[in-house]
Amino acid sequence: MNKLRLLYFILFIGITILVVSSCGDKRSPGWEYAPNMYEAKAFNPDQPNKNFKNGQTAQVPPPNTTPVGFDRVDEYPNTPEGYLEASEGLKNPLPLTIATLQEGKTLYVNMCSHCHGYEGRGDGSIVKLEKFPAPPAYGTGKSSRGGNMSDLTDGKIFHTITYGVNLMGAHKYQITPEERWKIVMYVHELQKLK
Amino acid sequence: MRSISLFFKSILPLLLFTAYFGIFSSSVSFAQDVGAGAAIFKQKCTACHAINKQVLGPALKGVSERHTEAWLLKWTKNAPAMIASGDPEAKVLYDKYKPTMMTAFTELSDDDVKNIYAYVKAEGDKPPVAAAGAAVGADGTAVGGSGDGGVSNFMLIGLIAVIVIAFLVILVLNRVINTLERVMLRKKGVEVEEEEEIKKDRLAGLKMLSKNKKFIFFLVLLSVILLGSAGWKGMWETGVHTGYQPVQPIKFSHQLHAGVNKVDCQYCHSGAYKSKNASIPSANVCMNCHNYVQATEKYNGEISPEILKIYTALDYNPETKVYGNNQKPIEWIRIHNLPDFAYFNHSQHVRVAGIECQKCHGPIQTMQEVYQYSPLTMKWCINCHRETEVNHKDNAYYDQLLAAHNQLKKGEKVTAAVLGGLECGKCHY
Repeated sequence: MNKLRLLYFILFIGITILVVSSCGDKRSPGWEYAPNMYEAKAFNPDQPNKNFKNGQTAQVPPPNTTPVGFDRVDEYPNTPEGYLEASEGLKNPLPLTIATLQEGKTLYVNMCSHCHGYEGRGDGSIVKLEKFPAPPAYGTGKSSRGGNMSDLTDGKIFHTITYGVNLMGAHKYQITPEERWKIVMYVHELQKLK
Repeated sequence: MRSISLFFKSILPLLLFTAYFGIFSSSVSFAQDVGAGAAIFKQKCTACHAINKQVLGPALKGVSERHTEAWLLKWTKNAPAMIASGDPEAKVLYDKYKPTMMTAFTELSDDDVKNIYAYVKAEGDKPPVAAAGAAVGADGTAVGGSGDGGVSNFMLIGLIAVIVIAFLVILVLNRVINTLERVMLRKKGVEVEEEEEIKKDRLAGLKMLSKNKKFIFFLVLLSVILLGSAGWKGMWETGVHTGYQPVQPIKFSHQLHAGVNKVDCQYCHSGAYKSKNASIPSANVCMNCHNYVQATEKYNGEISPEILKIYTALDYNPETKVYGNNQKPIEWIRIHNLPDFAYFNHSQHVRVAGIECQKCHGPIQTMQEVYQYSPLTMKWCINCHRETEVNHKDNAYYDQLLAAHNQLKKGEKVTAAVLGGLECGKCHY
């Protein structure tokens, strides 16, 4: 009788182990059949890469070159003079259409609204939570570089999105020049709100 | 000596009076409306100043001790003019923080400025650690909840190994005891046949058990159920990573960033609407907010250790606000992975189809730690493609197809060129 009990005991332990192990481990992706079909031979941009000196797949373009659709190098530098030159020299190349304005709005909502607010009044979601200081409103605020926010020109807004100012970071890494022009177009509409 | 002390005694009330009056008058000059000052401060000043830490301009704690009130009034209303006029105090400040220059606030009245400095003084006098304790407590529970509770394979294997070893040890010890007993019995001259009888009995027990049909049936049934379910589950879940939740190098909470702060998904994953990859944001995107946001209120005035990891990766010094050269990428662990033979393009789904991120990635705005929500199997893809209607309005691709079909209906000739056969990329890719 004692031996039978021992047998049951061992069986019980075996079952528990099986049940527990079948629950799976959330820290592991689990079994894979033919993993060489899942792991690509080609490198993804985010992957480490031994072929390059810094060990990364994503590389910076060679110096003094500009990829198509990106910023010209140092055309308007991030200096007070560059800011004023951009104001003089840059005009929005995109024609004003409803469709472009719509795209500008979508981009503005995605990229800007959590600080600047949906209507550009400097009351975005983070500002309302008092986690980040309020930027000046486009319609009524004053620019830290002089003048009213509502008077900002194409070039000034473009320069600010590109390089940032004060606590605002440079956004040229997330937003291509064409997208920036769409946002500039929409910001001009928000400047009219008083 | 006596006369001196007498003189002091006589003069003491006067001294006290002047001292009192002095304090009173100085407090009068700042006895302004702190509430009104707070409102203006938040509206105009916080973009560059904080009370207890340097932001773009200096920390304002104790500013009324560093400068006179008259100077502060003049400076606050028009700092650029004061720098231009060559005021020595203004020049020192400008040299320290250039090229940043304080904006002119000519629209503020003397009372406004006094209110601001009254608020700054009131805030600066507050002990800084008072509110920190409660915040840490609330945060501590939140952090504790997200701890990992999974039993690792290593532990399971270890457990089995321990049981097996214990079993073996018991067996070996049993044998040793038996042999020792036998040796002792032999020495005493007793016959050893008893032992063999016991052996026979043992085998008999096992034989009985193997002839017990009910027991054998139970055993077979059990193994069929266990092996069957394990095999079924194993086959279905091979290559399916649903629920995969690896430990990431930084405890980044989507619940906080996307849920509470309502930062749009595409602010950080800015590739989602324009490229195949949704793209993991580079650390400079983190710095767009975290050059300012350091969550010091949750960590007793220290910078959050998780935010410090960004600074370490960028070799950034939060004191001097300077980036070093020893920068290292943050090695996030990939969760969603499609096999090499399946092509998936984010922009096609986000921009053309207009699908919400949550449709595939689940309630991401509630995840403190991201896990894979969808199975990403072919069946899953196909099911959605069967159900989803195509929105062909304002889509140049479908316009072209419709135009071609209309031409066909009219009996006109449709050449390859009409369907885009003259595009360079069709041949030269």
